[in-house]
Amino acid sequence: MIVPMGHILIVSTTLFFMGLGCILARRNLIMILIGIEIMINAAGLVLVGASALWRQADGQVFVLLLMGVTAAEVAIALAMVVYLYGFKRNLDIDNFDGMRG
Amino acid sequence: MSRDLIFLIPLLPLAGALLNMLGGRFWPRRVTESLAVAAVAGATLAAALLWPLSGGEGTTVELFGWLRAGPLQVPMVLHFDRLAACMALMVTGVSTLIHVYGTGYLHRKEDAVRFFVLLNLFVFAMLTVVLADNLLLLLLGWEGVGFCSYALIGYWYREEENASAGRKAFLVTRCADVFLLAAILWLFQLTGTLSITAINAQAPLLAPGTVTLLALLLLVGASGKSAQLPFMTWLPDAMAGPTPVSALIHAATMVTAGVYLLCRIFPLISQSPTGMAAIAAVGTLTALYAATCALVQRDIKRLLAYSTMSQIGYMFLAVGAGTVTGAMFHLLTHAFFKALLFMAAGGIIHLAAGEMDLFKLGGLARRSPAVFWPLLAGVLCLAGIPLTGGFFSKDAILLASFARGNMFYQVLCLLGLLTALLTAMYSFRLIYLVGPARKGDIGEPHHLPSTMLWTLIPLAILGLAGGLLNLPGVWGGNEWLEGLLGPLITAGEPAHVFELLLGLIASLLSLAGWLWARWRYAGKPEPRPVGTAGTFFLKGWQADRAIETLLLGPFRAIARFWSAIVDERLLEGGVFLAARSCEGFGQQLRRLTTGRLGHYLTAMAFGLGAIMVWVLLQSI
Repeated sequence: MIVPMGHILIVSTTLFFMGLGCILARRNLIMILIGIEIMINAAGLVLVGASALWRQADGQVFVLLLMGVTAAEVAIALAMVVYLYGFKRNLDIDNFDGMRG
Repeated sequence: MSRDLIFLIPLLPLAGALLNMLGGRFWPRRVTESLAVAAVAGATLAAALLWPLSGGEGTTVELFGWLRAGPLQVPMVLHFDRLAACMALMVTGVSTLIHVYGTGYLHRKEDAVRFFVLLNLFVFAMLTVVLADNLLLLLLGWEGVGFCSYALIGYWYREEENASAGRKAFLVTRCADVFLLAAILWLFQLTGTLSITAINAQAPLLAPGTVTLLALLLLVGASGKSAQLPFMTWLPDAMAGPTPVSALIHAATMVTAGVYLLCRIFPLISQSPTGMAAIAAVGTLTALYAATCALVQRDIKRLLAYSTMSQIGYMFLAVGAGTVTGAMFHLLTHAFFKALLFMAAGGIIHLAAGEMDLFKLGGLARRSPAVFWPLLAGVLCLAGIPLTGGFFSKDAILLASFARGNMFYQVLCLLGLLTALLTAMYSFRLIYLVGPARKGDIGEPHHLPSTMLWTLIPLAILGLAGGLLNLPGVWGGNEWLEGLLGPLITAGEPAHVFELLLGLIASLLSLAGWLWARWRYAGKPEPRPVGTAGTFFLKGWQADRAIETLLLGPFRAIARFWSAIVDERLLEGGVFLAARSCEGFGQQLRRLTTGRLGHYLTAMAFGLGAIMVWVLLQSI
């Protein structure tokens, strides 16, 4: 293995927290979705790395699964974004507080 | 006759009731009436034909097992001895006449089916009480009688007054029934059986204190049905029912049930001198109380109701004095003449178009002799005029009480004599108010159906000649009833001189009562203003008000306390407090639900962080 596992972990953790920061800090719905994608991919990176470290294919299989799920999720999420945009004419999440108790 | 046919006596009225209940709507009224009368008449016939079976120890028939649970064995057992046979014959016989009378009385009124069904059921329940050899079966009949009387007193239930009179009768008698039930349960616990004959046989083995308490419990139980102190308030109000019902309840059946119960269980209660004294005292006091009330009543049916109460008091005195024969003798003669009086009163009220005020009735002697003469016969019996049935039976009771030879019973005997005087006074007052014509009579007489007239005749004959049932030796009789029921009297035989002397005193007293009524009411038809004492007696010694203040008032206050303070404030307050705090908590919680995605995401991130910290700490 060329890249040491430690580096992979550092990169993916950084990626993960960047995604998290994006989610928490941004107000735009699309940006939040992007943040989520980044976090998922960070997790996928760790899986691939671990799979290479222990020489087992499970992790890579899991990443393939993850990609499929993500694709489906993005499809639904974008459809909802379009719908919500038609609803409120912008995508600022602070406008969507219909669930307030 | 086969012994198995005894069940027919109570079954026939039940069958009549069931048939009318199911089919009463489909056949004409005439059929309903005939069925009802035929059922009771059949029961009378059965009782008469089966009379030979009651000799000796009587006949006991077990029909079928009713409750079987370990030691509790309650079979349906009928016991047909002389006591039961006498009572059954009287009940069925008088009831038959009352049923016939009822067909005329209810001539144009609605709901005849309900009336006759209830009447038949009433007779059935009473016959169950009479024939039961099992205390639980007896209680079944006892409650059945109570229910039927409730339904019949409130027969015209559309008027609130009648319905509440029925309710009152039911509730007051229920209060007393609780004591009877307690006595029955206790007897079962003590003797392990519910059979009356078995209990009577075991009676001498019980502890004296226990027997006294049992006797008192039974006395209270009997007082409720028999309208004795302090459960007497329901009887005058029970007059709200139709007149045949009054006759049935007050003469033949319900009120005599208590006396009959005490007679039936006499071997038990006779073990307790205290219990006997209490029974005698209750009876005498009730007799005196009711006689004073009857003296001033203006409503003819209320007057008769109080007189019934008074006469039942005599029967209690008889039981207390130890003479079952005396009690049964008076019970029989009283049943005849009191049924007669009520039926005659029903005729009078009918003639006067529903008027019940004694001071507005009058002129009966001229207008309807067919009602007046039987009424007079009934009144003579009630007043105890010599040689009528009432005279002999009342005398026998007073004599038995006197012959006990102790001070207590002699005082009771004197009170009984005083009551006899009062009885004669109010009886003749009734005649003097109803008989002679007066100004302002109700003019147009109604026509009386023939069934309301001829039924009075046999009762009048039975009442007048009732003394022959148990004519004392002094008067040349052979004490037939005494021979039948067996000498249960425990006291010594009194001297004949006493017997004659007492008879003489009683005759003089009834004569004095007649003279008083003649002096006071003959030719003076206008009602006088009643004084304070009069009002007091008219209201039954304010018994209703006393019960209201002593019993119902505090009860209501307690109920109000529990309802207004405990329930509404305390319990409801607690519930509301819990509800409000839940609601307040919820109000605080809902502030967390902002509906903003950002907040949720932040919360999720921090939650995730917390979980990760926790996992890390775990792994250390």
